[in-house]
Amino acid sequence: MDALSNLLLGFSVALTPINLFWCFVGVVLGTVVGVLPGLGPAATIAMLLPITLKMDHTTAIIALAGIFYGARYGGSTTSILLNMPGESSSVATCLDGYQMARNGRAGAALGISAIASFIAGTVGVLGLMLISPPLARFALRFAPPEYFALMTLGLAMVVFLAGDSMVKALLMLLVGLWIATIGTDLFTAESRFTFGQAKLLGGVDFIAATVGIFAVAEVLINLESRSGGEVLKIPSGVKNLLPTLQDLKDCRFAFLNGSVIGFFVGALPGAGATVASFLSYGLEKAVSRHPEKFGTGVIEGVAAPEGANNADAGGALVPLLTLGIPGGNTTAILLGGLILWGYRPGPLLIQEHPELFWGLVASMYVGNVLLLVLNLPLVPLFAQILRLPNYVLYPFILGISVVGVYSVNNSLFDVWMMALFGLLGYLMRKLDFPAAALILGLVLGDVLERALRQSLMMSQGSLAILVTRPISATLLFIALVLLCLPAIRRVRAWRVEAVEHES
Amino acid sequence: MKRTRYSLLLIMVVIGALVSSRAWSQEFKPNKQIETVVHTGPGGGSDIFARAIAEMLQKEKLVTQRLQVVNKPGGGPAVAMSYLAEKKGETHTVGFYTGVWVTNPLTTVEATVTVKDLTPIVRLVLEPAVIAVKADSPYKNMKDFIEAAKKNPKQLAQSGGTITSRDNLMRLLLQKTTGAQWNFISFPSGGERLAYLLGGHGQMMVIEPQEAGEQIRAGNLRVIASLTEKRLASLPNVPTIKEQGIDVPLIPQARGMLAPPAVPKEVVAYWEGVFDAFVKTPSWKQYVEQNQFEDASLKGSALSKFFDSLTDQMREVLKEAGAKVVR
Amino acid sequence: MGSDKSNLIAAACLAAFGVYVVYGGSRLSYVSEVGPGPGFFPFWIGIGLLLFGAYQMVLSYSSARHHAVAGVPIWSGSGRALGAWLGLAVAIALFRWIGFALGFVLLTIFLVVALDHRPVVLALGIGAGLALVFYIVFEFALGVSLPAGPWGF
Repeated sequence: MDALSNLLLGFSVALTPINLFWCFVGVVLGTVVGVLPGLGPAATIAMLLPITLKMDHTTAIIALAGIFYGARYGGSTTSILLNMPGESSSVATCLDGYQMARNGRAGAALGISAIASFIAGTVGVLGLMLISPPLARFALRFAPPEYFALMTLGLAMVVFLAGDSMVKALLMLLVGLWIATIGTDLFTAESRFTFGQAKLLGGVDFIAATVGIFAVAEVLINLESRSGGEVLKIPSGVKNLLPTLQDLKDCRFAFLNGSVIGFFVGALPGAGATVASFLSYGLEKAVSRHPEKFGTGVIEGVAAPEGANNADAGGALVPLLTLGIPGGNTTAILLGGLILWGYRPGPLLIQEHPELFWGLVASMYVGNVLLLVLNLPLVPLFAQILRLPNYVLYPFILGISVVGVYSVNNSLFDVWMMALFGLLGYLMRKLDFPAAALILGLVLGDVLERALRQSLMMSQGSLAILVTRPISATLLFIALVLLCLPAIRRVRAWRVEAVEHES
Repeated sequence: MKRTRYSLLLIMVVIGALVSSRAWSQEFKPNKQIETVVHTGPGGGSDIFARAIAEMLQKEKLVTQRLQVVNKPGGGPAVAMSYLAEKKGETHTVGFYTGVWVTNPLTTVEATVTVKDLTPIVRLVLEPAVIAVKADSPYKNMKDFIEAAKKNPKQLAQSGGTITSRDNLMRLLLQKTTGAQWNFISFPSGGERLAYLLGGHGQMMVIEPQEAGEQIRAGNLRVIASLTEKRLASLPNVPTIKEQGIDVPLIPQARGMLAPPAVPKEVVAYWEGVFDAFVKTPSWKQYVEQNQFEDASLKGSALSKFFDSLTDQMREVLKEAGAKVVR
Repeated sequence: MGSDKSNLIAAACLAAFGVYVVYGGSRLSYVSEVGPGPGFFPFWIGIGLLLFGAYQMVLSYSSARHHAVAGVPIWSGSGRALGAWLGLAVAIALFRWIGFALGFVLLTIFLVVALDHRPVVLALGIGAGLALVFYIVFEFALGVSLPAGPWGF
């Protein structure tokens, strides 16, 4: 098979000592950057570009790609241990991951995160290797109506993030959607809700908002009592340090879910890993036998989003390498790197430089293995952070939140935003307003509104365009079904009650 | 006694004159990292441009200190511009501008800082644009496209940036000159715009030749006109828009460097010297050729005049476009 | 104040916020020449906030009426939490003037001494230690420049 012989060529490139070394450096650096909130792989890659000019180009792309997908492994660590998302794609992991840590299962959460990342990451590379060109062509068929339908499907997931009160979830969703409107309108260049601040013209920084709502609010909640809230149970014994066989069985669908959704959404330019992780989480909850347990520490709730953000890395490379189209920030800087080294990324890149593409693909298999081998033994080490006494841990969390958020744009304004969101998150926790719904609105709001307005521009104002196109009609139908699910369930429950009543 | 006093005074005056003249002619040399502000995130057009320039300056040993790129995205250039305005008098801070630094303050109330408030140093290139369509589309030249647009008013679509971006302004000028009408759909990133065209949803794009280059080479896109005065060296068979009979004013996309307000003359002189030498280097010439830019160095009063005339031109074009002009 | 009453107030705030959003959205163009304008989404978000906020107010009110106590008391520890938040806010305000290191040390001292009643020396040690770690990891290794006071750090 052609792919096989190409892959062997790739491995012959990837397994040279120097490429192995730089792959290792890349994935380790990526993991570190992923763990630290704020600093992201895009900025790190940009910083390292000058160094790469002196390297062989294949080595350079292997190293930089390592940073890219390595960061997706690391992001979950602080999400699980401290309720602080290390990367925007790890926000969904906070939902169940942190709860698992509170239940004494931090080790299992970290472990399943690494395993899911490995499985989905490898599937992503497989996909990149085998179906890039047809997938890229399929992804091109996605126009604004399809994006709108996909985002609506994502919003429909709010039904599953509702917890006890649907009304409160909807209110938070609306607040999240509103926050997403802050800034300069893309189409008319008018500014919305910027309160006269030039710094808000770009909108609210996502990292500032999420670190505030999750991490800072968590610290504030714990500081209510002197004993510092419930002390996080430190995992003891090997059973709690790693996922059990039962855990792995429970996550079977989550692995599949994360891989497929992550890879596919990653191939859509402009969608992003954060969207992929939330969609995967929502789907997992939708098909689960115990959806009400999501949000209290369910292991599939960690495996699905963590897998998704790793498969997304593979998917994001599809349009980049087959068409020269960058899907997001990090792939844009990778594109910049390729251009800097003298390549001209486009449809002919793979044909003209097979050793670059196949070397990269092979190195990604290697990189995923390296990351699994690195991350699993580190689980008990990371879990020890929980041993820190509260009076060290809380200043640490606040400090790293400040520094992390500051490092995104070198902006104290962002830090203020984080503090504000911290207060908001605290109030929301006290009153049981679900933060996840707000974040969902914030994540999806931008793309949703944009896609709707673009669609209406395409159809000259007719909403029919959303249902006449096959893909978007299908997705919207699924969203409708999801929205009706709670009602259907309730009707069924009434019926069961009625039957029991009669008998 | 008096003589000693006089000679003492004389010596002091001479020393004073020597010292102060040295102070006046004291040259500026950077002694720490130079903060280089760009208005895009990492990977964006300005970011890549700034990093490339920084790299070449270092390679050609024209600057001894590192140019550290600092990303200040938000509201187009507004956040970056207001950040620079706050750094009054800072000798070790510079910014890389593009045309949008001139147009954005004209339409956005909160963008209170204009290019004239900052200290322009140099203009480096003008980025040309071309009109591209899908290779399998029926439009072989502008005439085909304009005719099709006239037959189906507001049916054809162009993907581009915001409505104040060059893409749309060119579209409005073209529509006015030819009488044809077609839609404009905004996308935030170049990748999405290209995907829209390649996916067959849109019919044409105003795009920079280097962005389209590979798609052309692979046979996916066809360039039907270049929006330049003269034909592009890389596309010698593509007639300019004027050659095709459509006389439309061309909007230049300029890129260059500027500094915060109230920066001492010596600093400007230093950078002017650096770039005078820089544009003669082979790495720069190669870079310009690879990216299909137009080498267009400009500095000093000519640069100020350029900004003034560009601002006026943009104001007129925006008003015609129906955008709300606030300055 | 119990949870029901707090929920009522929160819902009222959200409903009022909805009114503000509608107002803000109405100042922008609802329809533009190319379809829904920038005011379209905010308008409907505001309406939604208003409607659901009002509904939640009704729910909280009826819940309050049905409970003996107006819901569960929930604000007992908030004084400490809000105090901690104020400490954070003050620290952020100070970063510009005295730099990150000193600001963070002061914050740590506040958290550890005022809120946790531990010795100042311990707080100083923790604050300085953590600040050092942050500097090594972020400024030195990663090249992020943290806010600095007049003395360079």
